[in-house]
Amino acid sequence: MPKIELQEKTFFEMLGTRPSREELTELLTVAKAEIDDWQPEENNLRIELNDTNRPDLWSGPGLVRQLRVYQDGKIPEYTFLSKEGSVQQTGERIIQVDKGLRDIRPYIAAFIARGVPMTEAILVDMINSQEKLCWNYGRKRSTIAMGVYRADLMKFPVHYRAADPEKTRFIPLDYSWEMSLREILKTHPKGVEFGWIVENFDRFPYLEDDQGQTLSFPPIINSAHLGAVEIGDSHHFIELTGPDLDSLLVACSIVACDFADLGYEILPVRIVYPFDTAYGQELVTPYYFQKPVSLVVSEASRLLGEEISAEEAEDSVRRMGNPVTRSGNTLTVSPPPYRNDFLHPADVIEEVMIGRGMDSFEPVWPEDFTVGRLSEIEIFSREVREILVGLGYQEMIYSYLGSRRDFVERMNMSGEKVIEIANPMSESYECLRNSQLPNLLNSESVSSNAVYPHRIFEVGNVAYLDDRENYGSRTVTRLGFLFCDREASFNDVNSHLSAVFFYLSREYALEPVEDPRFVSGRLGAVLYKGRRIGVVGEIHPVVLENWGIQQPTAAGEIELDAILERDSEGR
Amino acid sequence: MEREQLIKELHPLEIRVLLHFGKDESVTPDRVQEELGYKPGQSNQAFSWLTAKQLIEETERRMSTEYSITDLGREYKERGTPEERVMELVRSVRKQGSLTLPEITNKLGLENKDVGSAYGALAKAGLLAMNEAKQVILKVESARSGSENTRELLELFDDLETVPEQDLSEAQKTLIRPLSRKRGADRGMFRVVDREQVSYRLTPAGLQAAKELRALGMTGEEIGQITPELLRSEKWKSATFRSYNINTPPLRVLLGRKNPYVEFLEDLKDKLNALGFEEFDGPLLETEFWNCDALFMPQFHAARDIHDVYYVKNPTHAKEIEQPYLDQVAACHENGWTTGSLGWRYPFDRDFTRRMILRSQGTVLSAKALPRAKVPGRYFGVVRCFRYDKVDATHLADFYQTEGIALGESVNLKTLLGLLKMFAVEVAGAKEFKFVPGYFPFTEPSVEIHIRHPELGWFELGGSGIFRPEVTKPLGIEVPVLAWGLGIDRMALVALGLNDLRDLFTADIEQVRLRRRR
Repeated sequence: MPKIELQEKTFFEMLGTRPSREELTELLTVAKAEIDDWQPEENNLRIELNDTNRPDLWSGPGLVRQLRVYQDGKIPEYTFLSKEGSVQQTGERIIQVDKGLRDIRPYIAAFIARGVPMTEAILVDMINSQEKLCWNYGRKRSTIAMGVYRADLMKFPVHYRAADPEKTRFIPLDYSWEMSLREILKTHPKGVEFGWIVENFDRFPYLEDDQGQTLSFPPIINSAHLGAVEIGDSHHFIELTGPDLDSLLVACSIVACDFADLGYEILPVRIVYPFDTAYGQELVTPYYFQKPVSLVVSEASRLLGEEISAEEAEDSVRRMGNPVTRSGNTLTVSPPPYRNDFLHPADVIEEVMIGRGMDSFEPVWPEDFTVGRLSEIEIFSREVREILVGLGYQEMIYSYLGSRRDFVERMNMSGEKVIEIANPMSESYECLRNSQLPNLLNSESVSSNAVYPHRIFEVGNVAYLDDRENYGSRTVTRLGFLFCDREASFNDVNSHLSAVFFYLSREYALEPVEDPRFVSGRLGAVLYKGRRIGVVGEIHPVVLENWGIQQPTAAGEIELDAILERDSEGR
Repeated sequence: MEREQLIKELHPLEIRVLLHFGKDESVTPDRVQEELGYKPGQSNQAFSWLTAKQLIEETERRMSTEYSITDLGREYKERGTPEERVMELVRSVRKQGSLTLPEITNKLGLENKDVGSAYGALAKAGLLAMNEAKQVILKVESARSGSENTRELLELFDDLETVPEQDLSEAQKTLIRPLSRKRGADRGMFRVVDREQVSYRLTPAGLQAAKELRALGMTGEEIGQITPELLRSEKWKSATFRSYNINTPPLRVLLGRKNPYVEFLEDLKDKLNALGFEEFDGPLLETEFWNCDALFMPQFHAARDIHDVYYVKNPTHAKEIEQPYLDQVAACHENGWTTGSLGWRYPFDRDFTRRMILRSQGTVLSAKALPRAKVPGRYFGVVRCFRYDKVDATHLADFYQTEGIALGESVNLKTLLGLLKMFAVEVAGAKEFKFVPGYFPFTEPSVEIHIRHPELGWFELGGSGIFRPEVTKPLGIEVPVLAWGLGIDRMALVALGLNDLRDLFTADIEQVRLRRRR
């Protein structure tokens, strides 16, 4: 979940009130947000936003917009937007897109914001919310990256090019000498961090003005000259680039509305593509592309369990900041330009719910009669566990992930195949276990201080490879048990196993088998109705040595699903 | 009271000593062993306990000397002393001729000096002499062995381990001393032991205790351990039972136990079962399809990054995805299918959807349950999930999620709130709770329930919502489906008195043995 850092003074000035902690907590629920940290003396307010589809709330102005409309019901109007059939004038404000970008990073959206001198406070908030937008909604800049420039110094038309990585050179932000695009990827901190987005292409995205002055190398870094906004500047050029047009346009509208809310005048920019886009070859941004969504109010009443009138539903939706019209029992919502999360009438129903207030819905006991039931394997596992407890065994419960060293090498099974994670976070969690014995032996290796004898067991899942399965693997429930004492032997664990089967009212047999984890001749494969379902025996001293265990140890492992399967085959 | 306790807790070994000896009578280990039949160990215990309780006190300490027989002495006793064996040999060869000393030594297999000193003694006693050929001959005809006194000493050790010096005659004392180790001879037949004899007597407190024991009729013959033999003999009918010190710290017992965390999960399952939910479970490895696609999470969703789920090296892909669900879900992502949704409007990747990952959310089971769900129906699972998280006190790489669904014609937001209230009251034992709007990619509307826990304060107990039609319709369900998940880890920690999630899965046997539910 995204968290945003706000300067609380600015935030409450924009909100127009300074609520108490409790009031703010209550108010924030409208935006599915909560206070994460609030330090008034440090002018700091950190808020966590739970809705990952509402990037418009991840800035001070955006959050205030939602909270204010909920309180005063006034939906802000933004007149700078273009849409199909209603396109704004742009004059010379044009960006020309190179056709070579089509398969690299094709789309760009931009606008001019002017009229308010940049302050330290605005700049800090703007940088914070821009980062959040590009990192979370823009998936670490891969789908959205943004730049802000000194519009006074640049000359339209701006050119968005596919540039030669070696020949194209400029001075990047935070540096004082020229570098090629390739060098920036290798040495500039931002190049190192975000280089993966473009490094596999022959050409790199590059933005320059009509005089050949560099604006930036999207999505990596701005130029040190045009791309370094200064306090006092009141004329900014803002652009966003990315491979997905809809999310780019939403992001552009979000940023434009935020600037507008801060008092800026927004001037649109015309983008000229040499190829087709979903909205034509020429697109004036900020652009409104959202489609209206209709809701039959009775649907809302049914899903919310409350009879809601069309008027009431309309009010609730409007309170949430959504322009809405009503025709009889049908509402038609035009999503605000900064939102793109209305996919289905159900999304409008939620607006009705929140706008009307959670407290207006009374909890009702569900009336349907249904029969509760534990799964067959759960009931069987409980029987097994009870017998093990009666035999003096302590139940354990383990993590299912571990290292190859523990699961394979220490078990004296070098050729064993286990399910391995392709992107492990650490060596300690790189494999999914295919046996409980390593876990039980690990317990022994860390418990030599515990009074002997040790009798421990676990009933839990293991997973192993199986080509016959659709998933190439099987997950099963097993009983694993281990006995460790001065004279622990095969005979002990076999006695325990026989007690388990006796009280399960079932019979088992053992047959000789070889297994490098056990002492040859002192182990058996456990057979149930002719099928091998496990193994029991004395752990080989090599394995004990690998685990640093200095007491004789015997153990067994039984697949419980297999017992139930065999039983049902017989039925 | 203290005194009464002291009397009651006297051990039979102490009682019998106290009762046996009178005022000023000398109490010694020897007498106790002889007269009360104690073994040395029992007598040591009795003396040490009684001394510690100041019921007896030392009166005298003196040294005494005792003799015991050595291995050599035992050999001589059985096979004859050198004197006896030289005399016998000389007599037995007399008819054939005579032997020199080296020949005798040879025949008897003894050492030179033993034969030499035996001849010396026998010659001195006038029994043997030597002829001109240096052969040993009988000086007089007699039946004597020449070492009758030594034999008498050896025979003393027939029954006794040790013989006190004072029990020997003066002549025997004179004889035994040079034959004993520590008084000259290295290889003696006897060993001399100097022993300290300590004498005690009853203290006034001891005499008082004896008086009280008599008054109580306690004899030290009271029954301690009740044995099968005792029960059979019926002696218990006339005996009394000794009181035990019930405040002695009891010994630790190692017992078999369920794991308290598993018990916590078991209780949770029982409660959900009691609330009409049927349990479901599934494999640890899942496809992208069921884990996310079926839940209408777009394939480009941030939570599906390589840094959020564990991919599997082998098998990398499932062979196939069940139809018609694959086509319907794919269409739903691309254009909303017949659900009335706009869909996510991107080309659905049918290769990516077969990709295997470690199950990252319990909701996958809710989705999988839908095609076969009963209507109305309620389902739940307490399932192990995997997250790409750095393991620390508040994050685990694998952990349990509690998830479920309730579906039917009559379910709606208000019954969802009812369900959440039921969980708050019945599962978490909360009295105060509140609902706030929530967000989940697969539910709309979405609601969280926050509860005031007696120890944790306000916290989010669970997330829930009504499955989006884009989730339910492609899986063949036309009625609303309430989906919910409960966060139980923090409650589990409180219930087990822990504050580190890693301790839930500890490998340490002693920690688990000592862990209790609060």
